[in-house]
Amino acid sequence: MAYPYRHEKEVRLMSEAFGDPAARTIEGWRARGGYQGIARALEIGRDATVADVKASGLRGRGGAGFPTGVKWSFMPKDGTRPHYLLCNADESEPGTFKDREIIRWTPHQLIEGCLVGAYAIGASHCYIYLRGEFFEATQVLAKALEEAYAAGLAGKDILGSGVEIDVTLHVGAGAYICGEETGLMSSLEGRRGEPRIKPPFPAAVGVFGMPTTINNVETLAAAAHVARHGGEWYRQWGTEKSTGTKLFCVSGHVNRPGNYELPLGFPLMELIEDVCGGMRNGAALKAVIPGGSSVPIMDAGECVSCELCYEGVEAAGSMLGCASVVVMDETADIVKQVRRMADFYAHESCGQCTPCREGTSWAARILRRIEDGRGTEDDLDTLMQISEQMTGTTICVLSDSLAAPIISSIQKFRNDYLALIRRGERVGAA
Amino acid sequence: MSEAPFRNPGWAGNTGEFDLAEAEVRGDSYVGERPLDGGHPGASPSLPYMLVKKDPSAPLFEGPYQERLDKILDRYPTSRAALLPVLNMAQELRGHVSPGTMDEVASLLDLGRAYVRGVATFYTMYNKRPVGRFLVQVCTNISCNLCGADEVLAAFLDHTGTELGETSADGNFTVVEAECLAACGFPTCVQINSRYFEDVGADDVTAIIERLKAETGDARL
Ligand SMILES: Cc1cc2nc3c(=O)[nH]c(=O)nc-3n(C[C@H](O)[C@H](O)[C@H](O)COP(=O)(O)O)c2cc1C
Ligand code: SF4
Ligand code: FES
Repeated sequence: MAYPYRHEKEVRLMSEAFGDPAARTIEGWRARGGYQGIARALEIGRDATVADVKASGLRGRGGAGFPTGVKWSFMPKDGTRPHYLLCNADESEPGTFKDREIIRWTPHQLIEGCLVGAYAIGASHCYIYLRGEFFEATQVLAKALEEAYAAGLAGKDILGSGVEIDVTLHVGAGAYICGEETGLMSSLEGRRGEPRIKPPFPAAVGVFGMPTTINNVETLAAAAHVARHGGEWYRQWGTEKSTGTKLFCVSGHVNRPGNYELPLGFPLMELIEDVCGGMRNGAALKAVIPGGSSVPIMDAGECVSCELCYEGVEAAGSMLGCASVVVMDETADIVKQVRRMADFYAHESCGQCTPCREGTSWAARILRRIEDGRGTEDDLDTLMQISEQMTGTTICVLSDSLAAPIISSIQKFRNDYLALIRRGERVGAA
Repeated sequence: MSEAPFRNPGWAGNTGEFDLAEAEVRGDSYVGERPLDGGHPGASPSLPYMLVKKDPSAPLFEGPYQERLDKILDRYPTSRAALLPVLNMAQELRGHVSPGTMDEVASLLDLGRAYVRGVATFYTMYNKRPVGRFLVQVCTNISCNLCGADEVLAAFLDHTGTELGETSADGNFTVVEAECLAACGFPTCVQINSRYFEDVGADDVTAIIERLKAETGDARL
């Protein structure tokens, strides 16, 4: 089988060239239709570009799913102060591995997306905030950016339009919280990546105190295609509320994990059984995390009729998030995996809010105790209480992101916890 | 009916459809060697190499590094914003960011010493103390964990004869646990200096270690 895995049911708008090194170069990318999106945007103008993206129904691919065109229209229209576009390439939500593929296989796709976004919001500077670990992917992007500057596609007078857009690659240094949009702004300014209270919203007071829009890598890549083909074109895929295609990052216990670009609304079971070649070793499905580690875990029953769109996953009791589908079979140790997530969030909490700082590490300690067979049933109540106190009480939603898997796993896999707890009691009594 | 994934530890995935060499998958064949002065100003903050040679007393910001620094400062409306890129560059040269280095960076950017320490210690990737020539970071987060990351981590510790976070006696290896590296579909993902090794299983570890030992002379990895 070839890498990257492909499947006939895919609709490859963004991922067609994944795995094809010839698409990395500017000539290669142009031969595949690249940079026609920014050319058309410059032709139809800023307002029409925003209108197109609004009409496309494109929603943010970084997790929250906020309509991109609407977000862009929040930016002030007056041209007196600098505006900034920040491209969020901090990809660090466990289970998510799509942005890196876009960057390392199709760097020009991202650069074009940044140009379209910056033009649409009236920004003359776009910073791409890359996670520091992405060294190899970043060098590919750096090379592509140099090509774009040399070809007059970045910098002054883009494509002879008189429009100026600079693009700067900014490399982080290993902190999940810098993926949160206001944490990213703090980090870009040279501070600790501490999130800020909203309001003020970034469109009013953003990075360096200026109007700012933050978009995910995949969002901007998709926007480049919308700019090229128009908003209606994009709606031919997906559902009414979740238009277009999405990169699904499938990992865990399936035969063919990988990135698959599918129309939104694709059935979860078809993704697992067909596109990903079924469960590893033919084992039974136990649980799925449909949207990255911060969304509620689904049990096998909830997966049966789940459709992978924003409203579909919500109806099934979870969230689509960034469509990072982590698949677990009957051998998976749910308690251990939730504990591992708790360790992660405890490590990544920026420490500003007490419920998050204390809650994440307290939960991690209790979960470790249960995993080691030293837990009690009361611990489960305590975990539920902590999680409730961690929800909706903090500056950003990192805190809620741990509460979701804890609460859902205790509700849906209580027996897994109880088995460990009872085993511990027996050991203790013996 | 379902074919098992082709395992190809060392870089991501198989090459079937496009018949790729490692350099093509990694991007090296496209990128070549980026210039130490950072190249185009827009790309200049993107260049922290992780050098095998780590010289804790290397002078900061001389020659091409001074040029890179000037370009970086030019890309931001405030000099404070250059702090992370500058710390990255300091680590590229010295292998870790000591309190002394933090102070040097503080005076260079005209920022408070305590401020710079507060920022530098916030970020995981700044090594606060020296690490081996190869910093081996094994992802043990959920997707990798489900597919055996704990055994891969144990194999690296075993084969390098180190404890978690400690450097081997020959100065070659420091093995640490990492959070998700955004390569979850190719478990286990291991970052070694600048490179990603994907699809790594516990039984691949010997070969990877041998390969690294053969590369200890290389300047940039
Ligand atoms: C703790 C936390 C971490 C996040 N990490 C990322 C990330 O790594 N990449 C990303 O694009 N968005 C991340 N987000 C979402 C961003 O805050 C933001 O919603 C997104 O970048 C907006 O772009 P979009 O509208 O294009 O989705 C994170 C959010 C939170 C609360
Ligand atoms: S919720 Fe956690 S990560 Fe977010 S700002 Fe508060 S302490 Fe920091
Ligand atoms: S969980 Fe290991 S790379 Fe994402």
